[in-house]
Amino acid sequence: MNNTFHIAGREYSENARTKGFWINLIMFPLILFASIKVPQLLEEKAKPTRHFVLVDQSGEFESVVDQALEREYQRSVVKKLLEYIQVNHLGNDEQESRSTAEMLEQIPAGFMEMDFAAGLSGDMADSMIAMVDKENPLLLDMLAKPGALDAFLDVLYQQLGADPPLFEAPRRMLERSSMPQDAWGDLDPTTASTAEIVAVIKPYLLDEKNFLDFKDPLFALVIVPQDALQQLKGPGKKNDGDPLTAHERGVQFWSTNLTDNDLAKLVERAINDDIQQREFGARNLDSAAIKAAQNTKMQFASFDPKKAAGEEVVSLADTIRKFAPIGFVYLMWVAIFTVVNMLLNNMVEEKSNRIIEVLLSSATPWEIMSGKLIGIAGVGLTMMTVWIFSLLGVLKFMAGPSVEWAGVLFEVIQSSGLLPLFAFYFFCGYMIYSGLFLAIGSLCTTVKEAQNFMGTATVILMVPLFTMVFVTMDPHGSLATFLTWVPLYTPFVMMNRAAADPPTSVMIGSGILMGVTAIFSLWLSSRIFRIGVLRIGQPPKILELLKSLLSQR
Amino acid sequence: MMDYTNAVELHDITKRYGDFTAVRDINLAVPRGSIYGFLGPNGAGKTTTLRMILDIIKPTSGSLSVLGASSAMEVRQRIGYLPEEKGLYKKMKTWAVIAYFARLKGVGAREAKNRAYELLERYGLKEFSDKKVETLSKGMGQKVQVLASIAHQPEFVILDEPFSGLDPSNQQVMEEVISDLNKGGTTIVFSTHVMSHAERICDRILLIAKAEMVFDGTIPQAKALIPKMVNLSGVHDPATLRSLPGVASTEAAAGLPGSYDVCMTENADPQQLLRDCFRNDIELTAFNYHEPTLHDVFLHLVGEDAKVASFR
Repeated sequence: MNNTFHIAGREYSENARTKGFWINLIMFPLILFASIKVPQLLEEKAKPTRHFVLVDQSGEFESVVDQALEREYQRSVVKKLLEYIQVNHLGNDEQESRSTAEMLEQIPAGFMEMDFAAGLSGDMADSMIAMVDKENPLLLDMLAKPGALDAFLDVLYQQLGADPPLFEAPRRMLERSSMPQDAWGDLDPTTASTAEIVAVIKPYLLDEKNFLDFKDPLFALVIVPQDALQQLKGPGKKNDGDPLTAHERGVQFWSTNLTDNDLAKLVERAINDDIQQREFGARNLDSAAIKAAQNTKMQFASFDPKKAAGEEVVSLADTIRKFAPIGFVYLMWVAIFTVVNMLLNNMVEEKSNRIIEVLLSSATPWEIMSGKLIGIAGVGLTMMTVWIFSLLGVLKFMAGPSVEWAGVLFEVIQSSGLLPLFAFYFFCGYMIYSGLFLAIGSLCTTVKEAQNFMGTATVILMVPLFTMVFVTMDPHGSLATFLTWVPLYTPFVMMNRAAADPPTSVMIGSGILMGVTAIFSLWLSSRIFRIGVLRIGQPPKILELLKSLLSQR
Repeated sequence: MMDYTNAVELHDITKRYGDFTAVRDINLAVPRGSIYGFLGPNGAGKTTTLRMILDIIKPTSGSLSVLGASSAMEVRQRIGYLPEEKGLYKKMKTWAVIAYFARLKGVGAREAKNRAYELLERYGLKEFSDKKVETLSKGMGQKVQVLASIAHQPEFVILDEPFSGLDPSNQQVMEEVISDLNKGGTTIVFSTHVMSHAERICDRILLIAKAEMVFDGTIPQAKALIPKMVNLSGVHDPATLRSLPGVASTEAAAGLPGSYDVCMTENADPQQLLRDCFRNDIELTAFNYHEPTLHDVFLHLVGEDAKVASFR
C-alpha cells in the first residue's frame, strides 16, 4: 500500500511540474477572462467608427436618421455612465428592481424643462443617479439636451468625493458624413438616379478613393429615393404598374460589410418608426394614444412547479441554472481528456524506456496501477479546483452592469448544488476513462501507437459534446434517456441533466451503472495491464488479447 | 527473515509463449553470497529466466524459490534489479530517481536521500546529484540506474546485461561495483554475452542456448569441458609425438613446417607432455600452452548456434 502512495506521489509531482500543466492551469482563467472582456474591448476600441453617407432625395428622413443616431449614442453614454457609477460605488442595490413607472414618480415636476446648463441641485442629481438605467427612455431624452451631461457629471463628481477619475464619454460608433461637393461633379445627387449615385460613391465604398482622410473606407451608402414615400408596402399600398423590381424599390443600403448590420438596422428602424407616425397622422389616429395602447401589457411570468411554494417564478438565475451544466460538461470533458492523456503518456513513457520493469520488480501491478490512478487523479483534482475557483473569481470580478449574467452565474454555481454533483460525476468519469486509457497505454510501446488508439477514443468521446445542447433543451427526452444508459457517456449526460432534477430512480440507477462500469474498467485494465505492460513491439490482436484476458496466467 | 542456503533455486522451469518455447527445463541453484553469470547468445532465454526469478512473468511450469520464498514479490524489498534496457525518468533529478526506487523498496525518505547522495559521490557522480537525468550521458545514466537498483542495500541483486553500452573504463567501474557488493555479502546474478567479464568475476556460470541449459558450474569446470590444446614447433617426428600419452590427436599447423597443434586427452597435463617430449628426444623450438578461455568454451558448447543467433 505504501508503494501505491510513493508511486502516486511521484506521478503527481512529475505531472504537476510539467509546463503543460501550468499552461492549462493559467490559460483557463485567462481565456475565460478574455472571452468576456475581449468582445467588450473590441466593441469599444477596435471597432472603427462607421462613417456613412445618406443621400435623401425625398428630403424627409435626414433628421429622422440623425435623431436615431443621437439616441443610439446617448444609449452608449448611459451604459458607460452606469458602469462608471457602479465602478465608483455610487449605485444603490435597489436600482435593479425599480420599474420605469417608479422612476417616473421620482422625477420632480418640471425636470424635463430645466435648463441643465445652469447646473443641477443635489436632489435633482440624486434623482438622476437613481434613474441611470440603460433602458430608461426619460434619461436618454434628458441627456440628449445640451449641457445636461456636463451638469450631471458636475454633481456626480461632488458626490464621489475627492479626486474621482473623470468620466470619459464613449466614442460615436456611427457617424453620418457628407460627400464633398466636388465629388459629385456635375451630378445633382438630389435628382440623379440610384445607379448614378452608386457609380459615384462605389469607389469610396471599395476603398479606391477616400475623402475622409480615415484609415477605413466609407462604411455605407444609404439612398432614400425621391418617391420613397410612394413606394411603401403594406395594406392598402398598391404599386400598380410600377416597373421597379422589389430590390429597386425603397431605401437602399450599400456596404461591403454586411455582417455588421447595426447601422442598417438602425436606419431601417428609424425610418419605419417615422413612416408609422406619418401613417397614424394620415389615418387621423392619435399617435400618443396608440403608443399608450401599445405599451399596455399583461404581465407574463413563467413558473416551475418543482420549486418551493412562493418561489416558482422562473428568473434569469433559473435560465442560467438550466444552461450551466453545459459549461460543466465541457469543463469535465476537457479535464478528463487532459488527465487521461497524461496517464496514457506516462504509461507509454515508462513502457518505452523499460522503467516499468524496475517498477514491476519493486511493486505489484496493482500497486503501480492504483498509484498512477491516484497520482494523476490528484493532478486532475488540482486542475479542477483551480479552474472552479478561478471561474468563480473571474465571474465575481467581472460581475457588473455590462456582464449582468456573470454575477447571476456566480450565485447559481454557489448555490445550486451543481458543484458537488460535478465533483461526483468527474470522479466517476475519471475512473471509467482512466481504466480504459491505462489499458491502452499498457498495450502500446510507442507514443505513435498510442495515438492511433487515441483517434478512435476521441471520436467516441466527442458524442457528449455534440449532444450536450440537445440534452439541455430536453433533459428527459429520448436522446438524454438513451445516452444516460450508455456507460461511457453516463457521467457526462447525467451532469448535463443535473439541473433538470432527473428522477431519483435514474439518479440511483445511473450511479450504480457508473460504479459497475468503473469497477469493470479498472478490472479490465488491471488484467490488460499485467499482460500488456511487458509486451514489446506490436500491440496484440483483439483475439489474442481476449484469450489472454480469460486465461489465468 | 527466512533462512536459505541458495539465493535462487529453479526446478524444471519452462516458459512458453504459444508455440514458442522461450526457456525449457532449467534447473539451477545460486549459492548464497556467490556471483553467478548467465551466459548465452542473444535470444537464448537469459532475460526471460531473470524475469521469472523476479516474478515479473510467471513460468508456464516448474517451481522456484527466491531467498527462501516462493515468489520474489514476497521478498522484493531485499532484491535489486537492473533491467536489460536502461531507462530512467528523464525529468527527475538524479538523486531523486535513486531515492524514489529505494523508497519503493521500503527505505525511509530521509535515509533514501542520504544514500542517494552517498552512492553518487562514491561512484564519481557527485556533481550530477542535483541535475536532471536528461543531462546525463548514456554511460552515466546507466551507472545511476545501477545505483538505483542497489540503494536499498539488497541481499540479492539481478543485473541484466550490466556491461552493455559502457565504455571500457566504465565497464571496469561496473566490475568494481559488483565485487564491492559481493564483498558485502550480496548474492549477484548477472547476464552477459561478453565472456571476459564473466571469466573475471563469476564464481559460477550458467550457459543457456536455444532456451536450454547447456552448462552449469564453476569456471574451471567449464574450462575442463574442452580439450587442452598445445602448439609445438620444430617437430621432426610427428609419429612419436602422436604416440605419447595424453595426446589425442595432432594436426599440422597451416603454413609452418614442423608446427603441430596437439589436442590432449581429458585430464592430461601439458607439463607432462613437455617432459615426455624431452624424454623421447623430440626436439622443440617452441612449446605453447594457453589455458582455454571462457570464450573458447562458449564457442565449443554453443558453436554454430551462437553465430546464427547473434546475427538474428
